[in-house]
Amino acid sequence: MTSRTLFFNFIRFFFLIFFQVLILNHINLSGYINPYFYIYFILLLPFDTPKWMLLIAAFTLGWSVDMFTNTIGLNAAACVMMAFFRPFVISAISSGPESLLGDTPSLRNQGLKWFLYYSVILIVIHHFTFFFLEVFRFSEFIATFVRVLLSSAFTLLLVLISEYLLYPRGK
Amino acid sequence: MRNLFLFFREHYFYFLFLLLETFSLILFFNYNEFQGSSLYSVSNAVSGSVNSIFNGISEYFSLRKTNRVLIEEMAKLHSRIPEAFYISDVNVFYKKDSIVNLEYKYISAKVISNSTNKRNNFLMINKGSIHGIENHMGVIIGNKIVGQVVSVSAHFSWIMSMLNKDSRISGKFKKNNQLVNVEWNGGTYRKGQVKEIPKHIVMVKGDTIITSGNSDIFPEGLMIGTISGYKNAQDENFNNGEIVFSTDFNSLGYIEVVVDMMRKEKEALKASFKTE
Repeated sequence: MTSRTLFFNFIRFFFLIFFQVLILNHINLSGYINPYFYIYFILLLPFDTPKWMLLIAAFTLGWSVDMFTNTIGLNAAACVMMAFFRPFVISAISSGPESLLGDTPSLRNQGLKWFLYYSVILIVIHHFTFFFLEVFRFSEFIATFVRVLLSSAFTLLLVLISEYLLYPRGK
Repeated sequence: MRNLFLFFREHYFYFLFLLLETFSLILFFNYNEFQGSSLYSVSNAVSGSVNSIFNGISEYFSLRKTNRVLIEEMAKLHSRIPEAFYISDVNVFYKKDSIVNLEYKYISAKVISNSTNKRNNFLMINKGSIHGIENHMGVIIGNKIVGQVVSVSAHFSWIMSMLNKDSRISGKFKKNNQLVNVEWNGGTYRKGQVKEIPKHIVMVKGDTIITSGNSDIFPEGLMIGTISGYKNAQDENFNNGEIVFSTDFNSLGYIEVVVDMMRKEKEALKASFKTE
């Protein structure tokens, strides 16, 4: 990881946290949709990030958001879960290490299909952990499941929008 | 020993994952004990100050509405001052003795963070223990309920909104004083659920539910909401209903914290029986 990517990831870390707690957490769409866009940070970490750093970064990220929402441990648990699955998801959906162009996962480098698989699986893992821990009741299973699906779709939409805006195809 | 060490090194990723995940879950599930720790007050102070900066900006956008609310409130108060009354009798009975005591006191505070879109919603207000706020105090807006204080730092308080899975408010029908419980099952923030309505009660849409005053948190007679629908359960002893909250949880600006001046006495009374 070069110092340049380190710097960009650092900025992204703080930007996404503030975007999440100051803007997205105040958005209310029908009571079922809560986008958790800050996990975009974990999606965008470079491929060669050491695995331990992946977990520590995810934990710090989740913890920081937790501080603002007063749900100590909730976001952290969901983020760590997501970061844990990231290496497995990458190796499962890629045909080999040589197929991974560039140093960070992105729509431009890996193509739409790869990126969709990658982000959908990880976003659903995060949201599933998050909402079921938050409710922690099986009597509301269906309602919680609907929340997981709708919120995941909304988060995915935000991720795709920023992919197209920030990293347009063909420089 | 060397093999053990190598084993750990080989699988450190799994161990680190288990460590961090367990740590987060322990904190999450032992949240209540954790609230007292020093780490918590540091994080509360950080998020509190960021929230008040952001709120300082967003406050400007709602000035017009705040003005309107204040004017309405002023009109209401004007109508209560002695000059507003027509006094028909000169024999005014004036009573000043120990029978009349102040039971409730109100502390006004500003909401600096609020949510309605989660399953468990909380508010933060800009007053804390130095202003006299303590845990388990009720929070109201006008004559409508908001929630209860669950955590206090020096300058801020954290309030569990009515919109929370742990929130359960004791209410009653205004028309016949029958006790019920009011909860929130998630979904839209405008509607909640009324539980444990005795079968023989005849309900109609629009029945008013007010606080019962049984819980030591809210005084009696505050508005909770009105019944908007109900279901007659066949196989249970109680009916359930749906309630439209009187409070608009999404537009809370200034709220009041209810201080029950006689709470210590009530609690001491309860405790004295338990120790028998």
